[in-house]
Order: sequence, then structure tokens, then C-alpha cells
Amino acid sequence: MSQDVGQPAEYYKHVSLFWTDLLHLMSGKPVALASVGPMRNWANDMKKITAEVIESHEHIVEFNRRLSEYYNQLSETWMEAQKKVNAKATGLPNDSEQLEAYKRIWIDIFENDFTELFDSEKFGQNYGKLVASELELTKRWESILNIMLHSARLPTKKEIDEIYKELHELRKRVKKLERKEQDQNAG
Amino acid sequence: MPAESLDPKLVQEFLSFSKNVVDAPKLVPAPDEITLESTPFDVAYKEDKMRLLHFRPLVETKTGAAPLVISYAIINRFHILDIQPKKSWVRKLLESGIDVYMIDWGSPSNIDKYLDFDDYVNTYMDNCVDFVRKESQTNSISLQGYCTGGTISTIYSALHPEKVKNLVVTAPVIDGWKDTTVVSNIAKHIDVDNLVQTIGNMPPEFMYYCFSILKPFEQGLEKYYRFFKNIHDRDFVDSFLRVEKWLSDTPPIPGELFRQWIRDIYQENLLIQNKMYVGGKRIDLAKITMPIFIQIAVGDHLVSPECSMPLYYAVGSKDKTLRIYPVGHVGMIASSYSQKQILPELCQWLKEK
Repeated sequence: MSQDVGQPAEYYKHVSLFWTDLLHLMSGKPVALASVGPMRNWANDMKKITAEVIESHEHIVEFNRRLSEYYNQLSETWMEAQKKVNAKATGLPNDSEQLEAYKRIWIDIFENDFTELFDSEKFGQNYGKLVASELELTKRWESILNIMLHSARLPTKKEIDEIYKELHELRKRVKKLERKEQDQNAG
Repeated sequence: MPAESLDPKLVQEFLSFSKNVVDAPKLVPAPDEITLESTPFDVAYKEDKMRLLHFRPLVETKTGAAPLVISYAIINRFHILDIQPKKSWVRKLLESGIDVYMIDWGSPSNIDKYLDFDDYVNTYMDNCVDFVRKESQTNSISLQGYCTGGTISTIYSALHPEKVKNLVVTAPVIDGWKDTTVVSNIAKHIDVDNLVQTIGNMPPEFMYYCFSILKPFEQGLEKYYRFFKNIHDRDFVDSFLRVEKWLSDTPPIPGELFRQWIRDIYQENLLIQNKMYVGGKRIDLAKITMPIFIQIAVGDHLVSPECSMPLYYAVGSKDKTLRIYPVGHVGMIASSYSQKQILPELCQWLKEK
């Protein structure tokens, strides 16, 4: 069966998943002998975990791209600010009073240029996407953890979140009932 | 560069600064050894992780004056309002004969990730206000909010105007679209739903990052240079370490509260448009009709004056005062200037009401 694997990333993913699936199929039957033991779970989990790791590849690429852009913006701003300092502070004598003046110029220009950067649309957009790619990686990592927790018959993050939500709703209901009772008693 | 071409004063200054760095551990306590609570208080009321602190009076409390409930922000802890005796906001109010309560929101854990504005406004704050009303046998209290605490107090006053006699808001976050700070730029560009869904409560580290890019060179380098340069000045060092310790004590922000705060106030700017809903009720700022005192700092790099100022025009109060001070966000509440200028004006205003 032919696969649309024209893109290098897609090709990488396809090859990885092909071998993972095949190895899983090949090893599945002997491992199934111990259907309640840890080996069967381990074999199943490894397939899912490998799939998660492969899927996270594109998020790692995106994260690195955004991080490079982040540091690129910082270094460009630094270089521009330093040029402005050099232009403004040329010819200052090398004594203690002028050192203080130089420091002030340096801080003012750098503060101004970097604040302008942090306030800019391009910084905000890239930072937002950097955080988004970190979140995608976090989600993949949590999926891996959830696979292992499920395998160990422990509650997953999603299940714990449901309990937190339920507890929050219960606390709210109890507080409302308590208040109602207080108001009735006071009335 | 040949050594003889260097200014001897420059060499002396460098040597003196290096000596200060080496001597620093002998001269100043470690931040962990400093306690931030300076004015004595009792925990008057407690609910989940929130505490209502009641400060012990320093002079005889003026009869007839409404007790003041201060709502601290949801970022950092309340200690900045009582950071040291000479710069204590709370102490100055107590010395003026005002009965002072403070809401300490506490440090939320994962189990609190679903706490939202409704819980903060209609449960925690409302229960604190009811407690103080009952304790002091008054129908209404004076309410003050600082920073995001100002936003919460504003929302509370719009929903429960009958319980608030006077409202004081200090650098409140109100009009998110007019905010020109770096914080608002970040807030506008993050996918807050994805963020909260993935990590739950907003971790302190995220806040530290935001703080670090506010004034990176002034706050990140220059202030530490000044610290070592003034290492023999005990008052300066004491004040510096207290503020540093306070800055590094940021509790997480409950996920749902953070989501609503970023989306409704910074991204969609619903509060100033009277379109924000809390606990199923629409917040109409025109319903704030009690006397209001708004304090704004011109040099505020966390909440820009343009973000706070629209509140003055949006409220329904006839008795309204707007004061603009030449300080920054923290200088407004914990500085010599606030002791000499800002607090006397506020105390006078509260006493007249």
C-alpha cells in the first residue's frame, strides 16, 4: 500500500510507526501468553509511548524554531542598543564620574530598547507561539505519564482533574447550603 | 590599557565595591532569616486557604468610622502593605485610628484550580465582609483593593453595593485594552485556555518571567549594584532584602481565575464595557455609587495609568476622587513618599466619610 510520505517529517513518522507496529504485531502473540502479567502491559504501553514520542517530534521542531527566534530578537535588540550607546558615549573620559554617566546612558538605552521589544507585536506573537509549543510538549509528556499510570492501575491526570472539579462543585454546594441555613436561622 | 592611565578614583571605587561584595554575608542577614510580618494581627476568619487578618489597634479606634477591609492582589503576598514599620501602609492606617482588616488569599494548590472570580468575589470576599460587618456591628464597611485586588474589590462593589460604604482602589486593572505594559502584551498573545487546560494553576515561575522583562536592566542589574554599593547602609539593606524576599514569594494563581482574568479583562476587555459576568451576574460599573477614591501611579510599569483611569468615568458615584502620584507600582504603597503624601490624603478621606 502506497503512503503519502513526500515530506521528510512525514516520512520519518511513517517509517518509525511502521516498524513500531510491525514489531508489536510480531511480539504480540508470544507476550499474550502472560495476559495478566506486566509483560503484556509493557508491550502495549511501549507501542503507545513510542507513538507519543514520534508525534512530539514536530512540537520539538516548532519549539526550537520559536526559541531561536526568541533569542534572535534579544540579540538583535542588544546589538542595536549597544550601537546607540557607542554613538552616544563616544569620547567620554576614562574617569570615575564619567563611568557613572556611561552606566546611566547604557541602562537607559538598553531599558528603552528592550521594553520596546517586549511591548512589540512581533515579540508577543513569537512568545505566545513559544509557550504554545511548550504546552504541546507538556501534553505529550503527560500522555506518556498517563499511559504508565493507567498501566499501573493508578488514576491519570484527567481522572484526578475530574475529582478536583467534583470537589470544587461540592464545596460550592455545601457553602451555599450553609449560607442558606444561616440566613434562615437569622431570619 | 596601561595601568597609569586609569583614574585612581575609578580603581578605588572598584576595590571598594569588590570589598563590599566579599563583606556582604558578614553584614546582612540571609533572606530566609528575615520575617516580613511587622505589625501584629489575629486571624479573625479562615475559609479554605484564605485568611482574614485583623490588625491589632495601635491607638484608640475612632468610633463611627467604618472598618477598612483591604483586598490584597492575587500576585505575591500581602506583606508588601506591611513590609517594615517605617514604610508600612497598614501601620499608618492604624496610627490614624482606622480599624484594619486584610484578606490574605493564601497559596492555592492543585485542588484549587477551579476557583474563579465567583469564588473570590461572591464567596471569600463576601464572607469576609459579612464577618467584619457582624463583628463591628455596622451595615457597611470601607473596602480597599490593590492591583488585581482592586479589580476584585471593584467587581464586589458593583455586585454588593449595599455592603460597601466607601471604596478605595489603588492601581486597579480595569481597561485591559488601554494597558500599555509588557504584561498586557504577553497576556494578549497567550492561548490562555490551552495554558490553563494543560498546566492548571499558573505557576509562580511564569510570574517571575513576566517580572524579569518589566525593567530588565534597572531591576535586573542596577538594583543589585546599588545593593552592594550601599551594603553598609542598614536601612537601605533591610528595605532591599524585605522587598526582594516579598518579590520571590509568589503563590500560584488558580487556573480558572487566571483564565477569566486574562480572557475577560486583558483579551476581550469585558469589565470596562460592562459585559463581564461573575457568578452568572453582569458587572455594571455604574452600580458603584458609594464614595470612591482612586489612586494611580504615573510610573506604574505593571498596571499603566491608562488602564486604571477609566474607572473614574465608569462608576456611578457622585462623590469620586482621583489622585495621580509620581511613583511606581510598589512605591505607591511601600515608600517614604507614600507615608508622607499618599497615606495622609487617604486617611483624611476615610475619616471624613
